[in-house]
Amino acid sequence: MSSVCVLTPMVVGSWPLIANAIAGTAASLGFTIAQHEREFEIGGANETERVEAEVANSEVVAETMGRAEKMTIERGGVRIEFGVDDRGRCTVCASGKGMAKRQLKAIADEVAGKVVQQFAYHKLMTELKQRKFRVLNESVGTDQAIQIQVQLDR
Amino acid sequence: MKKPTIDISIGKDGKVKIKVHGVSGKECLALTEAVAKIIGKEESRQLTSEYFGDGGQVRTHGQTESHVRGG
Repeated sequence: MSSVCVLTPMVVGSWPLIANAIAGTAASLGFTIAQHEREFEIGGANETERVEAEVANSEVVAETMGRAEKMTIERGGVRIEFGVDDRGRCTVCASGKGMAKRQLKAIADEVAGKVVQQFAYHKLMTELKQRKFRVLNESVGTDQAIQIQVQLDR
Repeated sequence: MKKPTIDISIGKDGKVKIKVHGVSGKECLALTEAVAKIIGKEESRQLTSEYFGDGGQVRTHGQTESHVRGG
């Protein structure tokens, strides 16, 4: 090899691009996209805990004046709400009945990391193909890392 | 002529690691920087013997930032 480089993705894009990454995350982690603002079932002995996190290095580029972008995914009683804060960062709020904050934080962090992975994957694949790179191999490892090998066609 | 190849690993936390093969010197740097610009921020870089075209090995760590707006 001649060069090894470690990069941190900047998740900068319009809401539809980031929503695509959220949808990819939901599919790969077994979440389903929730229908608009449906409330959790009321009742049960346990209180609903909530924790906040954010998608690292994110910036949602506004295409309209409003900041009404929201998306919710669910899995086994855990609900993850994505939104955009006043500074344009993509926020992640995890909630679930009968779950400890620590558990919810771990889930929120896992989901936020996966959104970054999905965003980086789609952006790389789109841009590399435009730059005449050919995909030779693509796989997902046991550590959930996406492995891609590309070659420059010239 | 050998075609440049890039191995890309995108971790579950989103961190991206790239390895460029098949080119040396400025062309290697140009390819690395092209991919870095797509992704965003470079944390570290290691140059190895193939880069120099001989048996030497040098390691560098950087904190350069190339913040780009995606589409």
